Amino acid sequence: MSKANHHPRRETLADYAAGRLDEARAVVVATHLAMCEQCACEVAELEALGGHLLETAEPVPMAIDALETVLARADATANIVLPASLTVDRFANEAPERRLPLSEYLNGSIDDVKWRPVAPGIAQHVIEAEGYRRGVLRLLKIAPGTRMLEHSHRGEELTLILRGAYKDEIGEFSVGDLADLDGEHTHQPEAFGDEPCICLIATSAPLEFKTMLGKIAQPFVRL
Amino acid sequence: MTAPDGNSAPAGQAPTMEDCLARIAESGDRRAFSEIFAYFAPRVKGFLMKGGASPEEAEDLAQDVMVKVLKKAKLFDSSKASAATWIFAIARNARIDAVRRASKPDLDANEPMLTPEEAPRADFLCELKERNARIGIALAKLPAEQLDVMKLHFYEDEPHSSIAERLGLPLGTVKSRLRLAFEKIRKELEEDA
Repeated sequence: MSKANHHPRRETLADYAAGRLDEARAVVVATHLAMCEQCACEVAELEALGGHLLETAEPVPMAIDALETVLARADATANIVLPASLTVDRFANEAPERRLPLSEYLNGSIDDVKWRPVAPGIAQHVIEAEGYRRGVLRLLKIAPGTRMLEHSHRGEELTLILRGAYKDEIGEFSVGDLADLDGEHTHQPEAFGDEPCICLIATSAPLEFKTMLGKIAQPFVRL
Repeated sequence: MTAPDGNSAPAGQAPTMEDCLARIAESGDRRAFSEIFAYFAPRVKGFLMKGGASPEEAEDLAQDVMVKVLKKAKLFDSSKASAATWIFAIARNARIDAVRRASKPDLDANEPMLTPEEAPRADFLCELKERNARIGIALAKLPAEQLDVMKLHFYEDEPHSSIAERLGLPLGTVKSRLRLAFEKIRKELEEDA
């Protein structure tokens, strides 16, 4: 496990632990947690906090026959299919990337992704993840030396590096690093190194480009 | 209610909730399950109703949660989480799934259901047992206004802006109270850790 240098903000982890994130951002955070022990521990602590608060919730009596109903239903249901996040172990013998929660959404490896070019040096793959609360999840592949157009966000953006590296006004980001940006940030990432930079990006609102060219290109780029 | 030492076990010599889960995992012990049910089901229901669910929805969802507790008890690891933490995670995920199903009635059973994990992974190193007790202590020390916001953060599904509106507070105040509360708990954990 490589050690990440950039992590989600505590508020983001707290939202994740409380189940408040949209699905797109939850996928990005879950994938980072699989790569970052420090944040995984912090989420475990936040969940422990949730446990204490569950205990302090005012009890409301259950229906009289609730226990019998539950026992009968448990007998009747076959083994429960575990959610994707609990089945990470079944990827135990696969390459690290295939063990990530993201794998469930890709139906395979990043190598098999069908990329669609969106601008010189930039290709995109949009991932369906709109199960609850609106959000947009996509993979971007940026060729080394390519600069993204300068943009800010009306909502929030989470970017996790899966391969390669990029640098921007905040610093250098490499595999496992997560950039957690709110609407006030403007940035212009530039991929560097020997291989294309592949990032997993969740946005809660469309990107807003700062330059005229960006504004003109936006409808075509469809970011 | 949380015991003064922050553990979830009821007072006296009774088996702890963690013991009960272990017995369910081992032999499907129905008595142990009825203990768990009696303590947690009404709390899960209360938790869901605080989050805006109607009594009927909360009853159904709490029953779903208890079915999962019974069926998944083997996944529970008392060295990684308390019974309350584990059941909180199941309740939280059940709520996410319910919202998901409501927004997507034709949901394919094979579609990925990415919800936060209910049990830490096997290779997960951080020791939580002692920290859990400290979290309980830190929580008990929080000023009421911070505790209230913290409860709403975990209980509710609504965005922080709606919580702020309902409390008649600026969004910034809700966020800063929450931030202060998290910082205090972190500090408590970091002290001679």
